[in-house]
Amino acid sequence: MSKLKQTYNSFYAKFFLFDDRLVLMIAGAVVGIFAGLAAVALRLSLASVLEFFTPYRQYAWAFILPGIGALFSCLFLDKVMREGAGHGVPEVIYAVSRRGGLLRFRSTFSRLISSFLTIASGGSAGPEAPVVMSGSAIGSNIAKFLGLNDRQRMTLVGCGTAGAIASIFHAPVAGLIFSVEIILGEWKFVNIIPIAIAAVAGAQVCEAIIPTKELFQPPPFSIFTGDILGSIGLALFTAVISVIFTRTLRKVGGLAKRTPVSPWLRALIGGCAVGSIGIFMPMVLGEGYHPIMEMVGGTFPMAFWLIFLGIFLKIFVTAITLGWGGSGGIFAPCLLIGSLSGVVFYKAMMFIFPNAAVTSEGAYALLGMAGIMSGVMQAPLSSIFLIAEITGGYEAILLLLLVSSISSTLSHIIEPASFYFKDLIERGEFMRPGTDARVLSDLSLNEIIDTSYTTVSENMVFRKFINIIRNSDRNHYPVISDETGDYLGMVRVSSIRKYTLDPAFYDMIFLNQIMDTDMVTASFDDNLHDVLEFMETFNIDHIPVVDHHRFSGMISKARILDLYRRELIMQTNIQ
Amino acid sequence: MVPRRLPMNYKLLHIFRNTPFGRETFLQSLHFCKTINAHPVVYIPKTDKFLMYFSNDVVQVNLDNSFLAFPDTAHEHVIALFDEAGIPPRFYEPKDFTASTLPDISSQFDYMCSPRSISDRSSKIGLGHLGPKVRRMIKQATFPILIASPVFKAWKSISVFFGGSSNAMNALVLGLKVAIASGCPLKIYTVLEKDTEEVYRNMVRDSELEELVDQYVNEWCFYESTGFDRMLYEVPHDSLIVLGAYGHGVIKEILLGSKMEYIQSTVTNNLLVTGPNCRISLK
Repeated sequence: MSKLKQTYNSFYAKFFLFDDRLVLMIAGAVVGIFAGLAAVALRLSLASVLEFFTPYRQYAWAFILPGIGALFSCLFLDKVMREGAGHGVPEVIYAVSRRGGLLRFRSTFSRLISSFLTIASGGSAGPEAPVVMSGSAIGSNIAKFLGLNDRQRMTLVGCGTAGAIASIFHAPVAGLIFSVEIILGEWKFVNIIPIAIAAVAGAQVCEAIIPTKELFQPPPFSIFTGDILGSIGLALFTAVISVIFTRTLRKVGGLAKRTPVSPWLRALIGGCAVGSIGIFMPMVLGEGYHPIMEMVGGTFPMAFWLIFLGIFLKIFVTAITLGWGGSGGIFAPCLLIGSLSGVVFYKAMMFIFPNAAVTSEGAYALLGMAGIMSGVMQAPLSSIFLIAEITGGYEAILLLLLVSSISSTLSHIIEPASFYFKDLIERGEFMRPGTDARVLSDLSLNEIIDTSYTTVSENMVFRKFINIIRNSDRNHYPVISDETGDYLGMVRVSSIRKYTLDPAFYDMIFLNQIMDTDMVTASFDDNLHDVLEFMETFNIDHIPVVDHHRFSGMISKARILDLYRRELIMQTNIQ
Repeated sequence: MVPRRLPMNYKLLHIFRNTPFGRETFLQSLHFCKTINAHPVVYIPKTDKFLMYFSNDVVQVNLDNSFLAFPDTAHEHVIALFDEAGIPPRFYEPKDFTASTLPDISSQFDYMCSPRSISDRSSKIGLGHLGPKVRRMIKQATFPILIASPVFKAWKSISVFFGGSSNAMNALVLGLKVAIASGCPLKIYTVLEKDTEEVYRNMVRDSELEELVDQYVNEWCFYESTGFDRMLYEVPHDSLIVLGAYGHGVIKEILLGSKMEYIQSTVTNNLLVTGPNCRISLK
């Protein structure tokens, strides 16, 4: 047994410890395959169940289906999986920002099942966020199994995201870019290679099981000069719709939290509301890929005003579905809202300028999708490449660039945080690598704190204290209560000079008479950012850490600077 | 007066349950803290689950509804119990949340009272098998876990189960640490499975603990390989048992079962368990 172990250790040392990039590449491929399988499983199961329910949607009682789906989805997440609420992507970003990419094992499948229940029953949500959550959790848990460190684990989380997106949309480049742009937030050579491998692996898994080319196949179209102006107008329109969508999602979610009913009842009510709207306008139900195909193909039959109404109804039902207890993502709703916006804009443009030389309605549906995705996610590159890949052509790449850039910029001006980041920013937990906040958050007080300080008693006579400072090079002496052991104050050598120069005081005063009780203190609950702010505000170089009234040690600016520099170098790989 | 080094500055995390059973467990935590001069920090849960992030794992702890019972009086009850013990009350409020209903509880504590007894089922209260969450917590935690007895029982001595593994060595150091802090008598219990007494004594010598063992250990009891159950019976009922857990490989544990689980399901004593990631220092 021990020989086998030795052989394994020697193999591991030779092939894996030699260069950790090799480990990440191999593990990335494995993560990509598993994430791809998860995405394909969800996609196939959704397709078959949605097809099964289609004939029943015309009946009046069908309004209850999304309600039942949302109810089961909520119960499954809350009672069976005991997962927290949320659609997943912010949770993955939080794990990467604050927790070294640690995700629970149950997250590898919990959102897949809950979103399946929501979407298959007709809830308005997309399967992409759940597969991102699932893929990321697969990456995190494989990293845990291999005993990888935080940075390697985060890379594998990115691999999982890329594999999942690449598989569900059959779009490997979009998977790579989404993973780096949204989840990891850093473009580094060491990350990009394994993530690219994972994206290819995910896409190939999809290709092997569902051998279709692109999700949406638009007819060929030509671009005219007039389309430049048209695209600018569409970008402005989609930016406004994006902001409305983002704000509605948050408002409806907030309203749900304030509604005094149990979460499962809330999900049932929300689902039934969605089902009721779906009876009058079935296209707002589910992921909505079918109407998108029609719009992209230029064969969408609806009238202008109905399409216009459809934009807002889709926004509303998505907000109800996700805010009131359903499970799923906003990718697919963004695509439908975007294509509806593109078609509406095209129809309005043709009404005002009937002779304008512009491209087809289907092309504007594509541009609208890019505009809404860029506006909501504020990640233009992901949107551009996703739309280019899922439609199988780069003919419209210039217009996609234009629409995405303007839409994301304008949305950013009106709504500075994207839907994915807003909650995290408000909680102060959105930290990208290499930023001041992230470097400070990655340093723990335990690393920085100096515990080798000598404490002194409150009742110590000054003469004894003089003997202590004579044999020590410290400038700070924490004073401790004899009775409780609690921290009482600090004696600073610099502030007791008048007593040290006059021996008459030596036997007259005790430390509790001369200690500084107003010195600001920090605790282990404070983050380093707060500690540095204390130091700046009070113009001090040292601060005592007092945790639950007990003196734990001192923090100095010099020590923080040393460790800050080391951490910054590690995060940015620059010397 | 001689200047002192840092005082005992340890913190024990206690998840409070506002029921009579929860009171017993909390009394046990208070007694433990008073005896070793540590401070209990109480978390009164507002949600039925929380997460603890460790260096290579994240553990979700699910609480049953009794932990959320009578929230209006929970705070008041905790303060009353603190007052009774003469310890200033300290509470923990989570700052970070993985999701809105999923708070992250800090893992920066020195001890934690296991929320193992988080079950309404009597088989799991006190005796019975540990849940997978507690097992994972013990495996990942960098601090020892106190598994409190079902009814408050003031322990008066310390019993270290020493089997020679690295975790057992950790447990021995912890036992010494608790003995030094509390002044309680310490006994070591060893079952001679493969090795002789001399081997175990050499292990202690090699770990440079011989002097401390001579100074603080009252007795080192050895039992033959079949004497494990006899040993469990001979451990005083009012002794704090300190032991290491999960010192063997996964396969061995699956095949042979865990000694710790057997002990936990056999004796009613308070257990202080060190896992493989536990860092015990005598400093």
